[in-house]
Amino acid sequence: MAADAVAVTDLVKRFGRFTAVDRITFSVRTGEIFGFLGPNGAGKSTTIRMLCGIITPTSGAGHVAGFDLFTGAERIKQAIGYMSQKFSLYPDLTPFENIRFYLGIYNVPPAEWPERIEWVFAVTRLTAVRDRPTRELPPGWRQRLALGCALLHRPRLLFLDEPTSGVDPITRRHFWEFIRQLTVQGVTVFVTTHYMDEARHCDRVIMINAGRIVAGGPPAEIVAAVLPGQPEADLGDAFVALMRREAP
Amino acid sequence: MNARRIQAIARKEYYHLIRDFRSLYLAFIIPLLLILLFGYALSLDVEHIPSAVVDFDRTPESRDFIRRLDASVYFDVVAHPPSSAALTELLDRNRVILGIVIPPGWSAELKADRASPLQVVIDGSDPNTAGNTRAFVTAFIAQANERNLLDFLNRQGRERIRPPVEGRIRVWFNEDLESRNFIVPGIIAVIIMIVGALLTSMVIAREYESGTMETIRSLPVQAAEFFLGKAIPYFLITLADVLVAILMGQMLFGVVMKASFWLMILASTVYILVALGIGLLISVKTQSQLVANQLAVLVTYLPSLLLSDFVFPQQNMPAPLQAVSKLVPATYYIDILNGLYLRDLSFGQLWPSFLMLALMAILIGGLNIRALKREGL
Repeated sequence: MAADAVAVTDLVKRFGRFTAVDRITFSVRTGEIFGFLGPNGAGKSTTIRMLCGIITPTSGAGHVAGFDLFTGAERIKQAIGYMSQKFSLYPDLTPFENIRFYLGIYNVPPAEWPERIEWVFAVTRLTAVRDRPTRELPPGWRQRLALGCALLHRPRLLFLDEPTSGVDPITRRHFWEFIRQLTVQGVTVFVTTHYMDEARHCDRVIMINAGRIVAGGPPAEIVAAVLPGQPEADLGDAFVALMRREAP
Repeated sequence: MNARRIQAIARKEYYHLIRDFRSLYLAFIIPLLLILLFGYALSLDVEHIPSAVVDFDRTPESRDFIRRLDASVYFDVVAHPPSSAALTELLDRNRVILGIVIPPGWSAELKADRASPLQVVIDGSDPNTAGNTRAFVTAFIAQANERNLLDFLNRQGRERIRPPVEGRIRVWFNEDLESRNFIVPGIIAVIIMIVGALLTSMVIAREYESGTMETIRSLPVQAAEFFLGKAIPYFLITLADVLVAILMGQMLFGVVMKASFWLMILASTVYILVALGIGLLISVKTQSQLVANQLAVLVTYLPSLLLSDFVFPQQNMPAPLQAVSKLVPATYYIDILNGLYLRDLSFGQLWPSFLMLALMAILIGGLNIRALKREGL
């Protein structure tokens, strides 16, 4: 159990009287791509913010990267990488300056900086715009830079919140290839998306709606269980079917 | 607390600062303007009061009176209107502040040792100037009376008589009663509040508005590191402004500090920390640059200007306002600066004000860290 990268039990988050996340239980195995699916407003972002140590859960239990959700927020932040669709770099800083900011914040020893900077420019292919203000870069490039920054301290666990929203199909394919490479190196990736078709890149997914988990497992197994005998159905169809079934 | 993280935040903040034209403008142009404006325009000294005298007497004695009046540094006789109506016109049009009418037969009455009234009219629109003018005119007429009294006694055959009471007045600390000598410390206090609090009131609000606060929350940054990293660049800029202000006060106005330069720097350091703390606290609480900016003007700039003993003396304020002024940090800073600039006081004499500033800095720093922790840092 402790070998899991993420494990939570009965996790609840309430904002006043509104329950955003309602007693969810799941675990993420080390080295897998774990998809967290659901429509907008289902509680995806609230969950990922709890897992990343940004907000404290109302109740429940759990650990991320070996640290307790309630007492280890600071150490969780140091251990993981987090990139959000809203995740903003500093637009008036250049990519180089943004990278240096992250290296400092992640407390990477300065002796390692040149090598890390070289690595991140190589994987993000942003060397040509190293000293241009980040605000002048196209959204897809900024997204690559944000991902690069989240990886500067070599985290073993990466959280991606809607990483591909608003990104063109070719960039999305590159993105998933890159994520696959990371898992080969042993990195665990936790990714939220509302694009059901992207779930095929995931080893396992859970589906959430109105703060509750409605299904979980490898994508193909979920489709087969929800819509037996329909080989052409995808996860989106399964999700719609589940919603119909839940409605009274 | 981690020095590398503080350095990373301070460096980032420095980039924001040098790339934001408005911040730089606020940081350097406004202080220069303030020094020039307050130093030259807001002189509270009353000299060369424009005056007009209607001389109906037209005798050597009346002309001598007018010449003595004009020779005094306090009065400039700029007009000799022919009639009382013409004098009224000059007062109405704001051409003169003081009008004197010498009635016909004035010197004849004097020579006959009879009471010989002069009509003196003062424009009271500006009570400060009017009050000073009245005091100067009263003193001037008292001198004239003294001369006449001595003349009279001499004519009576009593020579070498001396006036019974003679006040020998010496003004301490600001011998020439130059208002610049206390305006310069006041300007420094106001500049620190403007640059320190107004600039920093934007910096955390900006993170909220651009969505980068969520980034900061997701990173292993502690509240104290964030606070210090944000404060350091603005601390250096504000300190630079203080040095510029000291230098300009010395070069342009000849206001030279009498006491220890390092004591001045120590006081400024603590006071700057208070100003930065207030600005940053406003910034976290409002999360909007516009609101933060306006609030910063309201709670820092205006009280520093109006309640700090700079423009309006605290002993003249009603009791509730005096109580409020005790909460204004500038009160203690100006107290220290006046002590250093004018009185050559030592730390042993100024420590209560230092202590108050230090307590305020600690309190505001603590409030900042609490507010940032609540925001998820």
